[in-house]
Amino acid sequence: MIDWPADRFMGKASALKLGMWIFLVSDALSFGGLLLTYGVLRGGASAWWSAGEPPLGIAFTAGLTFLLICSSLTMVMAVAAAREGNRRQMLLFLGLTILGGIGFLTGQFNEYFGIGHPGLIKEGLVFGHSHRATTFFLITGFHGLHVFSGVTYLTVVFVRTALGKYDGGNHNAIEVSGLFWHFVDLVWILVFTFVYLVPCTPGAA
Amino acid sequence: MTASRRPYLLVFLALVVLTALELGVVYVPGISHGLLVSALILLALAKAGLVLMQFMHLGHETRALKLTVIVPFALPALYAFVLISEAGWRLLR
Repeated sequence: MIDWPADRFMGKASALKLGMWIFLVSDALSFGGLLLTYGVLRGGASAWWSAGEPPLGIAFTAGLTFLLICSSLTMVMAVAAAREGNRRQMLLFLGLTILGGIGFLTGQFNEYFGIGHPGLIKEGLVFGHSHRATTFFLITGFHGLHVFSGVTYLTVVFVRTALGKYDGGNHNAIEVSGLFWHFVDLVWILVFTFVYLVPCTPGAA
Repeated sequence: MTASRRPYLLVFLALVVLTALELGVVYVPGISHGLLVSALILLALAKAGLVLMQFMHLGHETRALKLTVIVPFALPALYAFVLISEAGWRLLR
């Protein structure tokens, strides 16, 4: 395990971690742009929910929120296991985190296209037909893309863990992948609140 | 379950409780729209702060790294407040 002296400003944070943090700040500003667009459009709309559009499934997405919070917990457990050099636990918790991500993506697919029920698009929430629909698909789609890339990223880390690349307490790479995954969860917390929870009635703001 | 992992469980429970609170506050009968939105924003920021400081270990990093991450959000926050309230004012004008 190579050990470099603490930097005067950044302490023990590795270059990899600094790079990830700076990337996450810029990515957060991209989401900020989308959420700000949503806020301005909704704030200035006399009628946000046009007739014929379906309501959003809050109960179901609350379940997705819980699923993502759980996968954040298993991610943090995987990093803790990496610190202790416990490869078996790393694989267990990483696998659970990846399953959580896949579950979330399936849930979102179900929300859009419906598995066993029509789904939002068939019920009338169509990209481009109204500000509400377009901002909804833009924000949740962009976030879903991040969940997908997070799952891919974690799968690569999972394979490398299985190959023993992170044995002996080498936790830097997995911790940085954890930063990305927690960021994806953090963004969903904000998206869930603003896009789903802020109530509106059909035909009103 | 080693002692070092207990704080993660506490953070997890706090996140679940805050999410439940958010869902609860939405169904409070007769709550004014303004009060509800500010309550939701506060709860969301609390959850985001918890994930940032505990799960992402920002709380254990140096001051310089914390500033690097948190300070850039001051400007978008101000920008959001100005633009959204302006859009709302324009609607009521």
